[in-house]
Amino acid sequence: MAEGPPGIDALLAAARADFGRGLPAKAAEFEKLVSESAWDQARRAAHKLRGSAATYGFPALSAAAAAIEDALLEVAGPPDADLRARLEHLLRGAAVEAERAAREVQ
Amino acid sequence: MSDDTAPESAPAPLDAPVFALGEIVADTYEIKAVLGSGGMGEVYEAHDRVLNRWVALKVVRANIAREYLLREGRALAAIHHPGVVAVHAMGEHKGTGFLVLERVRGLSLDRLLQDRRARGERFAVDEALELLVAVADAISVVHRAGLAHRDVKPGNLMIAPGGRVVLMDFGLVLPQADRPGHKSVAGSLQYMAPEALTGSVAEGAATLLDVYALGVVGYELLAGVAPFDGASPIELYRAKSRRPLPRIAAHRPDLPASLAGVIEQMMAPEPHERPQGAEAALWQLRAARARLAGGGGVRAFSVLIVDDDADMREALSLYVHAAAADAEIETTGDGKHAIRAVRRRVPDLLLLDLDLPDINGVEVCMLLRGMQLGDGCMIVSVSGRATRADVELLQQLGVRSLEKGPSLMSALVDLIQSMRPAR
Repeated sequence: MAEGPPGIDALLAAARADFGRGLPAKAAEFEKLVSESAWDQARRAAHKLRGSAATYGFPALSAAAAAIEDALLEVAGPPDADLRARLEHLLRGAAVEAERAAREVQ
Repeated sequence: MSDDTAPESAPAPLDAPVFALGEIVADTYEIKAVLGSGGMGEVYEAHDRVLNRWVALKVVRANIAREYLLREGRALAAIHHPGVVAVHAMGEHKGTGFLVLERVRGLSLDRLLQDRRARGERFAVDEALELLVAVADAISVVHRAGLAHRDVKPGNLMIAPGGRVVLMDFGLVLPQADRPGHKSVAGSLQYMAPEALTGSVAEGAATLLDVYALGVVGYELLAGVAPFDGASPIELYRAKSRRPLPRIAAHRPDLPASLAGVIEQMMAPEPHERPQGAEAALWQLRAARARLAGGGGVRAFSVLIVDDDADMREALSLYVHAAAADAEIETTGDGKHAIRAVRRRVPDLLLLDLDLPDINGVEVCMLLRGMQLGDGCMIVSVSGRATRADVELLQQLGVRSLEKGPSLMSALVDLIQSMRPAR
């Protein structure tokens, strides 16, 4: 890969910091969507975070989002108690990772 | 041994024909004619009496390992593209394995070259460029399937009615090219990269042999003569490794320097100096064609980014900027808008998320390909969870796939730089 144009590293770092600072809000949005049983919206949000977190360099958060997306793919109707418990656990994990990511870019 | 247009200098069969004219093979295929014959086997024209269609039957001689035929059949079965001869079936008759192939009618590029030479004519630049783009397109499909043809040469390229260019003869392996006195060897050697002549092809670098061969074909089409002199592998190796390389401009001063540069880069003695795969070569050829059509002016490199995630749109925009600071970047979050944007202006590169809210990325690709809106555009899917079925379908549509993640930036920057190295 050749060297990019001048200032590109700073632009990339700034974009990553912006993204990182917004992660706790994204995690909160997840919980809201799940609590409202907005399963498809929640899955889409998880899918987006899975890709963007991996791309911006937050692999643990990407893995957490992937687990949530996979769990939400199982939701065909109202989730049973097991799935709901698993989702809550996964959401807590994602929130922790989001906070950690936000601290990392401070 | 490829087609009905095999040059008259094709080698005589080493053995008696495997199938006789009029013979019914596997209760289905009536042998009508011999299309080609060589050291490895024969190709027959046959009539499929069940489906009532004409086919080509390819057999290998008993002394040739059957696995070559199987490899060829499987390679062809993995590819569906008008630029690649289609395989219908594989069978066995009286202990002889055979492939049932699409019967492609037309003329080989070899024959066309010979005819032009005989008339003292050459291919026009735009005519040659159209052929090269079509050949590069077909080879890139082969490469995307994880394969390398390894015997790209004018004799294996058929020009069918309607200008369809078809890559033939998959699975012909090269060891027999070393057999002295075998006339077809000379033709193949001309198109073999130096590292193939010395048997030193690096692992995973076989696709660069096809790029080299494409460069030689391009040189021959444009210059009207083959680039290298030499009858033996050693002589040709020396000629191919010698610098400076043959210059097309010596034969064709009217050729735009940018096109000559692309052809000569494909023929670079060192594999790492060539475009890294047929796809990269294809885009360089298309760029040369666009420059030619536009009177030589350089159009800004344009990129359309389609992703419903604003964070990904920003990341991708930065990555494109890192590779091409002067690129014109447009972004959108939905597939319908993407199609409208391509209708308005076909970008050089379309980066497409697969999981879109309205119509998904695979549907967008299918629509663009079906409407032929994206033919002048490299479409790259950028996805976080593409399934194998998605990737295979996209391959058939000529769409390359990149994965979201930490290596996305370097992969995208490399891709863009391979598309526009001359800028």
